[in-house]
Amino acid sequence: MQKYLHRIPHQSRLRLLLLPYLIGIVVLYLLPAMLSFGLAFFQYDALNPPRFVGILNFRLAYTDELFQLSVQNTLAYVILPVPIRIFGAFLCARLFLHGGRFINWARGAILLPGIIPGTAFALAWLWILNPLYGPLNLTLRAIGMVPPNWLADAQWAKPGIVLATLWLIGEGFLVSLAALYDIPPQLEEAAQVDGATSWATFWYVILPIIAPILLILMFRDAVLLLQESFTTVWLMTQGGPYYATYTLPQFIYEQGFGLLSFGTASAALWVLYLLTGAVVVVLYLVARQWRIGATDSVLL
Amino acid sequence: MTNWLRTLLQVIVAMVFLLPLVWMTATAFHAPATPLPTSLRLVPDNPTVANFGRIFAIIPLLRFTINSLIVVALAVPLTLLTGSWAGFGMAQLPERSQRRWVIISLIVLIIPGIALWSTRFLLYKWLGWIDTYWAIIAPAWMGTSPFFVLMFYRAFRRVPAGLYDAARLDGAGVLRTWASVAMPLARSTIVAVAILSFVLYWGDFINPLLYLSSESNYTLPIALQSLQQMNRSDWPLLMAGAVWATLVPVGLFVIALAYWNRFTNNTKETVRQT
Repeated sequence: MQKYLHRIPHQSRLRLLLLPYLIGIVVLYLLPAMLSFGLAFFQYDALNPPRFVGILNFRLAYTDELFQLSVQNTLAYVILPVPIRIFGAFLCARLFLHGGRFINWARGAILLPGIIPGTAFALAWLWILNPLYGPLNLTLRAIGMVPPNWLADAQWAKPGIVLATLWLIGEGFLVSLAALYDIPPQLEEAAQVDGATSWATFWYVILPIIAPILLILMFRDAVLLLQESFTTVWLMTQGGPYYATYTLPQFIYEQGFGLLSFGTASAALWVLYLLTGAVVVVLYLVARQWRIGATDSVLL
Repeated sequence: MTNWLRTLLQVIVAMVFLLPLVWMTATAFHAPATPLPTSLRLVPDNPTVANFGRIFAIIPLLRFTINSLIVVALAVPLTLLTGSWAGFGMAQLPERSQRRWVIISLIVLIIPGIALWSTRFLLYKWLGWIDTYWAIIAPAWMGTSPFFVLMFYRAFRRVPAGLYDAARLDGAGVLRTWASVAMPLARSTIVAVAILSFVLYWGDFINPLLYLSSESNYTLPIALQSLQQMNRSDWPLLMAGAVWATLVPVGLFVIALAYWNRFTNNTKETVRQT
């Protein structure tokens, strides 16, 4: 065995180390993604052999009012909070870039909500948003406000869930922090020597360098939230009240795992494929445009 | 911005981020079967640990905790092994191939997870992995997430290439160079990936929900859901469950923070001395 290994050239042995990764990408990502792409044209319940049904699944999914509602809801509060989350994460990174002896512990506090298991986090927020005894409404009442009923109210359920997800910005925070670290301090100093205020330095020097990373983070965040929102919603409202928090993941879950119509679930996913495809194109163009230091050192 | 103002802001922001955890913990110690307070207080009137005992009486919490421990004990070491292999292999390929691998990794990162739910289910069913932990830890065979592989890649690329070449000239094979040159130099990345993958598998709700069916296999996140379904408004009980599930990852995280603190301080010292 040893002798045989030595006859393989160095480069090929390196590629051998990459083999599990490659197989994983093909078997766990590319293959399932392509399969579900094609499954949209079949009727399949995992018990009987698949049957070709043409575009029936698309007609079923896209005329379903629940599906239309789920897409609207997904756009409203999976996509909308993303800029807020990423910009918030960036501001936090800027605030926590320098500091005293305890800076690492302070940064840890920002990351901590993401360390908590998603279900525990959802239960905690279910309690915080409780209309009667929840600490949030107790606080609001103490300062003389008339608080909303949050998750029990179709109008306030969405803002309630969005509020909870604002605490989960660890990944954006860490990547922004790393990107800010990589900006040479001379740049900022030069701007200040030239008489720029700290606001101008931030707006005209720091932000343009960081912009492509923030953009990539936003796409990544949208994809992440799409999946994360399922856990939060499933435990906090199960899509209610009156389907106010019913999102695409729940529709897919109920079609596939509830009704065992995997074909319809796949047809519904085509919206997502189109969106993801558009994102890939935009990302590619952005990556080509900005071949500057900061992007490279963080991602490449 | 003056220094004290910055520190004040930092303290305020850090406290805001800690609030959900603080409220969760405070309620977990509220005495059972007594009315919940109608005014805001951080420490409950007669703090008690009784709620934790009550969970054990309602659901087999110990069994679920052991299940969660089994999952992370399998998944985390495997993730570190395959993830660091991939990162190491990538870092030493020619520049052009490196770029290609990075782009592939980024593409995989933006494939939405929900697009894979049904077809992964069919794949696992075909493999006979449904209702086993193989289905839960399957991604660990490829470093769990391209994000982790890229973290390792970044760490290994910082090592001067001459070091790898020297090891090779001394007759060390690829695996030997990985084990005794690359890995010891990437200690902080190993700790980071270990913590992140631990958190991921420990808190994973969706995969057990989709691919596990018998109760004896359930992990802690699923247990919390059953607890909620049985006792919808018993808040002290639910918060005790949440605290129980949070204890281990937060404990590990605090240990890792202490390690990083020492690590960065040491680096600063070395820089100052040279």
